[in-house]
Amino acid sequence: MLELAIGIMLGGCALGAGIAMIAGFGPGIGEGRAVAAACEAIGRQPEAQSAVTTTMLMGCAVAETTGLYSFVIAILLIFLAPGRFVEILKNAL
Amino acid sequence: MSILLLVLALLPIVAGVLIRVLYVPATEGITVTGAHIFFTIDLPLGGLPITESQVNSWLVIISLFFFCLFLTYNLKTKNISTRQVIAEWIVESVDKLVKSNMGDFFMGFAPFITAILGISAMSSLMTLFGLFPATSDINVVAGWAILVFFLITYYKLKAGPFVYLKSFTEPIAVFAPINVASEFATPFSMSFRHYGNVLSGSIISILIATGLGGLSKFVLQWLPEPFSSFEIFRIGIPAIFSIYFDIFSGCLQAFIFAMLTMLYVSGGFPADEYFKRKAMKQAKKINN
Amino acid sequence: MNELDVISVNIWQIIISLANLVILYLIFRKFLFKPVKEIVAKRNSEVMAEYDKATKATNEANELKASWEEKMQTADDKADEIIKNAIEKADHRSEVLLYESREKAESIIRKAKAEAERDKLDAQATIKQEIVGVSAAISEKIIGREINMEDHRDLIDSFIDNMGDE
Repeated sequence: MLELAIGIMLGGCALGAGIAMIAGFGPGIGEGRAVAAACEAIGRQPEAQSAVTTTMLMGCAVAETTGLYSFVIAILLIFLAPGRFVEILKNAL
Repeated sequence: MSILLLVLALLPIVAGVLIRVLYVPATEGITVTGAHIFFTIDLPLGGLPITESQVNSWLVIISLFFFCLFLTYNLKTKNISTRQVIAEWIVESVDKLVKSNMGDFFMGFAPFITAILGISAMSSLMTLFGLFPATSDINVVAGWAILVFFLITYYKLKAGPFVYLKSFTEPIAVFAPINVASEFATPFSMSFRHYGNVLSGSIISILIATGLGGLSKFVLQWLPEPFSSFEIFRIGIPAIFSIYFDIFSGCLQAFIFAMLTMLYVSGGFPADEYFKRKAMKQAKKINN
Repeated sequence: MNELDVISVNIWQIIISLANLVILYLIFRKFLFKPVKEIVAKRNSEVMAEYDKATKATNEANELKASWEEKMQTADDKADEIIKNAIEKADHRSEVLLYESREKAESIIRKAKAEAERDKLDAQATIKQEIVGVSAAISEKIIGREINMEDHRDLIDSFIDNMGDE
């Protein structure tokens, strides 16, 4: 009974971590668009390259935050959650 | 003398490597853990564990302190040395950055921005020496982010508490809970951004190293014993990835943390109200 | 368990890292920004002093140049004046000389003329005497008697005068 519960729990954690990382879509698309726009801007105004690059990196870093949130959640689910959940299950059963 | 200071600046890194070799047990396989705890001091609220990240950030501070002394040793007005050129370049470029992002009112922030850049970049670059990067400990980055949050709130309060409270009801009063939440989300997002980037980089580095070790074992399995366990692919190839994950990402995250600090502090500061209030106070003083 | 979890929050560690950043800020302000700012300000002031010195020197040089130019101008004027004076003097002198020489030449000519006149008169007188002698001898011969010179003097003289005039 306990083994089955632990197995389901571990599987749930791994699945959850994988699903959490789907959020990587958003930053990927957003950063791709940002870089495309930056490339266009540099093509139009090559003299503003350094300013555009700095701003683009800033924007990319900010856009990356959501992806990093999901990454942190995934890390929690893989490395931290199983131990806690196993303890809770052992106490419950 | 200047060489002695440079040696003193490099000594903490050597000391860090020594501490790591002597006191931190080596880990096998894919193990993602936090910093190693040397010992724990008993304090309320969970005690104070002295960890690798704490020790490493202290080492970074000592190293940067001696580096500053090294740069500013024996400054001259004529026939300046390379050290002085570097020191002046650092000061001038940070001044320029602060001026273009925050304006003249916040010129006192230049050393603070330099401190953020220095400690963050140096902590992330510690991985090049095989040390634990202090920035992949959430506590370290959270401390910086909370300090930045204090600064933001302090400069928002400069124009009086009423203006500060009123800024939450913009654009309409209904948005107040969301504004409060976004106010407190700032340190979280800043710390998680930095921490997540460095940690993801180190996890990917661990995965690459482990995967390359397995690959070299698989390729060299037909050789006799001492050669087959020789992990040939782990030489050099992880360094290519570490150029991105450690050097580029570390420096970029330091720069972004500094930029966000500047933008949040100067963006939250209600300049118009502050100067109005200051003028009013001065007028009152004159009238009295 | 001798290691922290991947994510573990500890309030003391947060406070320590906050203090670390503040300490590093103070270190940078005291040991990097202050000395560099001081030395840059010092160099700027030195450079400004040098500039001031250079401007001063240039101004002085310009003044000197202007005064020299003025002096040169006056010297030129003086030289012109001197030349003019000299020319005038020379003109005057040459005129005087010319006048004197003309005078001299005229006096010489006059003298010469006077001499010539005298010579002519002398010659006339001699000729007249000779003619008188000759004519008296001829007349004695022709007339056969002695002519009284004193008696006929007037007659002969008028004759000779007429002859000389012709």
